Amino acid sequence: MTTTTTRARAAVRPVSPPRGLLLALLRLHRTALWFWLGLVAVAAAALLWALGPGADAAWAEYRGMGCDGGAPDLGCDLPGPAFFRYETTVTVVIGILFLLPTLTAAWAGGSLIGRELESGTAQFAWTQSVTPARWLAAKLAVPALLLVPGTLAITLLHRTLWTSDHHLMRVLAWRAWYDDGVFEANGVLATAHALAALALGVLSGVLLRRALPALGVAVAAMASLTSVLDDLRPHLWPTPPGTPSLMHKHPASHFWPLQLVETGIVMAVAALATATAFLVLRRRTGAAV
Amino acid sequence: MTALATAAAPDTRPGGLLRAVGRTHRTALVLSLLALAAAAVALIWLHSLGDEARAGMSACSTPPTAGLPSCAAVDAITADETYRNGIFGLATALSWVMFPVAAWAGGALIGRELENGTAQLAWTQSVTPVRWLAVKLAAPAALLTVGTGGLLLLNDWARGDGNPNLVGDWYYPDTFVSTGPVAVAYALAGLALGALAGLVWRRALPATGVSLAASLVLHGVMERYRENLWPAVTRTEAGALELPRSAFQVAWSDVPRGGVPLTRATFHPESHFWPLQYVETGLLLAVAGTATAAAFLLLARRLP
Repeated sequence: MTTTTTRARAAVRPVSPPRGLLLALLRLHRTALWFWLGLVAVAAAALLWALGPGADAAWAEYRGMGCDGGAPDLGCDLPGPAFFRYETTVTVVIGILFLLPTLTAAWAGGSLIGRELESGTAQFAWTQSVTPARWLAAKLAVPALLLVPGTLAITLLHRTLWTSDHHLMRVLAWRAWYDDGVFEANGVLATAHALAALALGVLSGVLLRRALPALGVAVAAMASLTSVLDDLRPHLWPTPPGTPSLMHKHPASHFWPLQLVETGIVMAVAALATATAFLVLRRRTGAAV
Repeated sequence: MTALATAAAPDTRPGGLLRAVGRTHRTALVLSLLALAAAAVALIWLHSLGDEARAGMSACSTPPTAGLPSCAAVDAITADETYRNGIFGLATALSWVMFPVAAWAGGALIGRELENGTAQLAWTQSVTPVRWLAVKLAAPAALLTVGTGGLLLLNDWARGDGNPNLVGDWYYPDTFVSTGPVAVAYALAGLALGALAGLVWRRALPATGVSLAASLVLHGVMERYRENLWPAVTRTEAGALELPRSAFQVAWSDVPRGGVPLTRATFHPESHFWPLQYVETGLLLAVAGTATAAAFLLLARRLP
């Protein structure tokens, strides 16, 4: 292709660079894209199954054992195979949401940013009509736009399951609203965690500029953030006077205050990491940004 | 060094490859030694806290009688909470050693070297591919065995008398993995799976992901089917049946028969700890051995 035609095309189609950047990003990370779509599909299918046939079969089994009469019976704490299928399904979904921040941080640090800066493909891209700031913006925006709807869909389905009038896990008291996994899966916190993981991964990639160290540091940073927040959670909203700051001392009505304060903290961390990543990149690449 | 000197002293530095592995992975080495030291210090500290923690769990009475301390005094002891959290935290950390090991082995130890071509370069330098892989597997395996094994012994020592109300029952997943030889077997299986994934994918990041996924699946499957690894005991009694405190309950059924409920309980008594440990260790070592053999076979097939 000659310079003349390039210039002519650029003049005719001024919108093509962002679309090209988007297409390149999706093509480069197609494995991750398919993995994410598959993960969302598996989680959604599992929750839909649990909401319908799974719950029906488990309830039929529970009633068949004569357990819904309210009389205390040790056997009712440990129902049969239908309940275990239901239990395993819900556990798998909560496990997916638990792993999501780690996987996102690892991918963002290693594959999205670290590898490109290590192998020089990022520097090459910056010579091709894409400024570093725009390159980074696309790398943050596209995954964020894919992560948010997927995670929200899973959490909405989990919330529907949790609030449905016959949630076995709650009836049998195997899980409570304040358990770490349930608390995150019932609100906007899971989505906030995914975004913070993306931002921390990108920051560690920009800082370390090597795939594997960035992957390790991003995972460690996200794991520390999650564990600190798990310890901090009961203190984020005052418990009723005279009770210690423990999760099970909070009334269930504290779900949204606790959830929103923690989401605010996580989003602030994400915003700070994003801003730092842009600043670092700008300092590295000079005034070209 | 000239070619003459190299030829004259081909075997004076047998540790050269070993040193090269240690130097390439010095960050991982330093980090794992730091983690090992931190865990050891934490376990020694927990052991020193043990007596006070057990005092915080003791029976009490109000007002205090001759044999028993007052309940207010027992309640005032907070060491039991700290001790319990510490023991549970270290149990989880010890039972998850496999995951970082697998990710590192797949990505940094094998995958990156094959991707960058540094492995192929090393094979042109007096090191055969088989020996290269053998040293890459043997050195971390030795360190992992010593490190995990040492922490395992320290953990058993820090758990004191193993009071289930304080440190958890023997069959809790993390407790089970962190109190017996399975901990070492998990770490070795992680290393072998990582090396195999690295040789299959020959790229750092996909190998990291695949070996982590394989380890998660192995860990999850073992946890789910642990109860089937040794024949459980079944006890059937009419009326109320009470299992011993530390029974690992597998199944329970009440069948009303002639007005009296007939209770049938299937469980593992605490004496099944060692058989279950040995079977699980054997399975994990078989996985590790198969993965290692597959890695060597794959390497041999890849070579011209």
